[in-house]
Formats: sequence, C-alpha cells, structure tokens
Amino acid sequence: MTGDTLSPAPRTQAPTVRPRPWTTFRAWAFEVPALQVLVVAALAAWLVITIPAVANPRSITSILVITSLLALAAMGQTLVVILGGLDLAAPGYILFGAFMAANVAGKLGVPPVVALLITVLACGGIGALIGWICHRFAVQPLVVTLGTGAAITGATLFLADGDYSSAPPEALRSLASLRGTTLGLPFPPIILIVLLCGAGMWLFLNRTAAGRRFYATGINFRAARLARVRTAAVWTMVFAASGALAGVAGIFIASFGAGWSQTIGEPYLFSGLAAVLVGGSIFGSIRGSYTRTLLGALTLTLLSTIIVSNGLTEAQSRIVFGVIILAVVSLYGRERHVRDRF
Amino acid sequence: MNRVLPLFQRWPFAFAFLLALVLLVLNLIVSPSFLSPARLPGTLATLAPFVLVGFASTPSILAGGIDISVGPLATFINCLFVAILIPAGLGNWDLAAPIILAVAAGIGALNGILVAVLRLHPVVATTGMLFLLVGLSLTIAQNPVAAPNNWTEVFAGGIGVVPGALLTIGVAGLIWFALRRTAFVSNLLATGESDVSAYGSGVNIKAIRILAYTLGGLFAGIAGIALTAIVQSSQSSLASTYALLGLAAAVLGGTSLAGGRGGLLGALFGAVSIYLLQQLLTASGVAPSLIQFAYGAVLVVGVVLGATLLAPRLKRNAS
Repeated sequence: MTGDTLSPAPRTQAPTVRPRPWTTFRAWAFEVPALQVLVVAALAAWLVITIPAVANPRSITSILVITSLLALAAMGQTLVVILGGLDLAAPGYILFGAFMAANVAGKLGVPPVVALLITVLACGGIGALIGWICHRFAVQPLVVTLGTGAAITGATLFLADGDYSSAPPEALRSLASLRGTTLGLPFPPIILIVLLCGAGMWLFLNRTAAGRRFYATGINFRAARLARVRTAAVWTMVFAASGALAGVAGIFIASFGAGWSQTIGEPYLFSGLAAVLVGGSIFGSIRGSYTRTLLGALTLTLLSTIIVSNGLTEAQSRIVFGVIILAVVSLYGRERHVRDRF
Repeated sequence: MNRVLPLFQRWPFAFAFLLALVLLVLNLIVSPSFLSPARLPGTLATLAPFVLVGFASTPSILAGGIDISVGPLATFINCLFVAILIPAGLGNWDLAAPIILAVAAGIGALNGILVAVLRLHPVVATTGMLFLLVGLSLTIAQNPVAAPNNWTEVFAGGIGVVPGALLTIGVAGLIWFALRRTAFVSNLLATGESDVSAYGSGVNIKAIRILAYTLGGLFAGIAGIALTAIVQSSQSSLASTYALLGLAAAVLGGTSLAGGRGGLLGALFGAVSIYLLQQLLTASGVAPSLIQFAYGAVLVVGVVLGATLLAPRLKRNAS
C-alpha cells in the first residue's frame, strides 16, 4: 500500500465525496435529541387541543413539578446508565431522603440544611462504597445495588420505627408545593432547581475533562484505563453522585407530597429508568445525556396526563410506557450483530 | 482450607448450599417443629414461587442476558388464571394449564425475539416487558379477586404423602434435567461465556437466546401456578415484590451475571437460603425492617464472596 505513494495517483481528480443529505440528517437526528423534542411538542399540542382547560398556569405548573421530581430522581440513574450499569438502590435512597425530610427535619426539628447535608453524605457515602466494590471486585452493579437498596430500605424503616405520619417542615414544603413562588414569580423553586441542574450537568458532561473521562469510561472501560483514566475514581464518584442525587430527590418528593410512606421510592425506580430510556440514553453510550432525561421525563408526564384525562387508568399508562420504551429503543438503541464484533 | 476452596470454585452453588444448610440447622434449633410432616407441605408451598421465579431468571442469565420481567410474568399468569380463565369457564386443569404455559412461554419468546433478533439491550427489552405485564395485570384485576375452588389447591397441600409443591418444582427441574441431556444447555453456556466464540463455532446463538428466554417464560408460568396455589386470589400488587427476587436467588446461587456459569441447582439453594433467612429471623422475633436489612446484606456479601474468593481463578501464564 505504501509503495503506491510514488506512482502517479490513479485518480487524477479525487471526487469529493459529499455525504448525501439523508445521511447527514440521520446522523444529526441521532446526535441531538431532535425526535424527543418533536414528541414533546406533539404531545403538548395534543393535550392542549383535546383538553383546552389544561392551558392555565396552575395545570402547567403541576405538570412541570411532577416532571421535575421524576427528572431529579432519574438524574443519578442517567449517569449510571451512561457508565453502563444500573442503580437498583434508588428506592432505598429516596426512602432515606423522605425519612430525613419528614421525621428528622419535620418531627425532630433539625434544620433542613443539616438534614440535606446528612442525606447527601449518607447516600453519597453508600453509593461510593457500591461503586468501589463493583470496580474492585469486578461484580455487576445490578445485584450489589439491589442488595444495598434492600439494606437501606430496611435500615430506614427500622430508624423510622413505624412513624409515617410526620410531614416535612414548611421551609422544605414551600420548595416543592404547587403554590410556592420563586423570586416573586408564581412557580415553585423545584422547577428552577432542576433546570439549573440540567444546565450544570450539560456543562459538566460536555465542557470539562472530568465529563469526557466519564464518557470514555462508559464507552470502553479497557480503552479508558489504557488512556490513564482512573476508572476506579470514575466508578466511585458516579455511584456516589447517583446515591446523593436520589437522596435529595427523596427530600423533594416527600416535600411535594407533604408526607411519606414505606413505598414512596418504588414507583420512581422503573419510572426513572423509563425516563432515561425514552430520552434515548443507552447503556454505555456517548449519546446519553441529562438533557435527554429531562425530555424523557416530560414525555412520560405529558403522556400519563393525556392517558388519565382520556378516562383510561394508571394501569393502561403503564402498558403505553412499556410499548414506548420498546419503540424508542428499537429505533436507535440497537446493539451490533455478533459478526461485527469479532 | 486449601482443599475446600477449589471445591467452591468447581461447584458454583456450593456457597448457597452451605448457607442453606446452616440456616436450616439454625431454623431447627429456633423452632424444632419446622420440618414436621404437618407443616412441611405448607412450608414447601410458600417456598415454591420463590424457587420457580429463581429458576425462571436463570436461563436468560446463563445466556449472557438478563430477564427482569419474570416476576411480573408470574403475577400476570396468576391474574390471568384467576380473573379471566376461571370466569370464562376455562378453569379446568386440562384447559387452563396448557393455555397458561403457552402464554407464559410465548411472552418469554417475545422477550427472546426482542433481545436476539431486534438486538435490544436485555435490561431495556425486559423493562419494557415489565411495564407491559404490570399494566396488563392491573387492567385485568386492579383489586384482588378471590378464586373459587380449583385444581391449583393441590399444589398448596399434598397428594397423599407427597407435598404438592414438589410437583411444581419437580416439573421444572425435570425439564432442565432433560435439556441437560441435549446440546442445548452446552450451547447455552457457550453463548453466555462468549457469544462471539460461540457464533464463530457455528452455534445458532439467535435460536439459543430465544429458547433461553422461552424457557424462562415457561418456568415463570409454573411459578404463576405455584403462586396461585398459595394465595388463591389474584394479587397484581405482588409484581414488584417478585420482580427482583428471582434475580437475587439466581445470583446468590452462584450464577454469574456475566453469563456461562451456574445452573438451576444454584437458584434452588439461593431461593431456599433467602426463604430460610426470613423464616429464621421471623421465628426469632426480629422486626420485619431488619429482616429486609439482613436480606440485602447477605445478598451483597454473597455476591462479593462469589466474585472474589470462590470464583475460578484465571490460569496464570506459564511464563
């Protein structure tokens, strides 16, 4: 091959291969969550046309608050999914956060900031331990997080000692209640918090070296290690972040509902995963991002609003969720054929 | 110690077996009547759904995938039988059993097609299926429907001296035993170990994967029957309880999530260990919340032990 450089070029005029418009369009459509934006716009239009009454500030606020809670709960899961794992401990973290908000900050009167700090430290610490164990012993995060989740749930219920009637203090409830205001504007601060988180996450993932190292570890663990990325640190940090974020989400979920129960975290495990998947983040993929999860959470909330307001039940919205996950992922989450992986 | 470790490394289920044995002895110390003939059929019937959901999780894990929809599939089968088949007059065993098993195997096969043909990530495909099945169960029977007298009661009690639960577990075990005589299980393990090598050696990995998920579905169908036997009503709310229990049983039993290592015996001992642990702590009067804590801790410790001390060492290079 190299000898050919001396002989005259066989093709005198190298045709500049211009990619066909369809190819560039398809690459672009996979690169940015264009489909998700389109789906959200279509669903919003459908909702407003079929039920005009929904277009008042109060309904819109409530849809956005529910979306924010789901997006906050799915934030850590997004990171773990991009890393190629799955965090099944999320219900445990959420339960612990709710416990801290209701029983510790509410009943015992501990300042909310201290409760928040304890939650972040406890859940983050447990998460860091999970990440380190999974990396050190090369075990699948699936089972370790499953076991840890059960252990956290059990420990939290033991600490709560049967008291599920406490409510978070007013300071926390005003953050997530529908009547809350942000800097004088008529929407609760949670929406702004989640939007800021989204912007921060985008900056971190796309504009910092740590974000790039994180993607590199998710896409190819061995290649990242050979490129001197400290994969142990990446795994520990990501699982710690997942734990801390889910714990914080638990505080807000309890504040929104003005109370908690033993099963407060369970719906958010699979719904959070659904938000990640519908957004288009796939296990160990460069295309995953938190922006996609925000869109996914909005899609799911709009969809379940449409389904419930059309007289169908919560159960039927589960069926639609299932079909949508399969449809979205088979559109662009498919894996390579074995013969291409030799 | 030097002689014990290789034993563990050779038999993946040895750890779960020992754990189950120790827990059984402890159980007998705490409540000596634990294995009395009067209590045995009931105990085994409560145990059967755990074991069968563990069985159902195993083939897909061995094939290098994972199926988190087997637990909801078992509760879906329970709702289908109690809330649809019995009211429709299809409740007799000669009609209902084939329908139930066909539906369960069909849903398993659908999972297999999603994973092997459409090439979706197994977690994603089965999560979608989990949503579908939970939604369907809730649509069929939002609230528990009591079942009239039916043939599944046999599996909760006994036939003569034989506890009925041995039949449900035994049928699944026999199917696996028969399959072990064929090339299927070897090909399954080869696919799980390295699908690229298996494909290169001419194994039809698509068919193997679809069959593995179908087998998981079939076992989940039997689990649904065993579940109906003890609850005798439709319990759509049990889906989330069983969703991850089978996975825990299989993995505690030494089945590697990376695929290619483990078997049904491991799932059996794993499920028995989890059940005996709960029994032991309940009998000693420990709070339910701490039982859950202990279950989680045992799971984590078991998995880490299995991955480090008890895993087969990679052979060092001769250099």
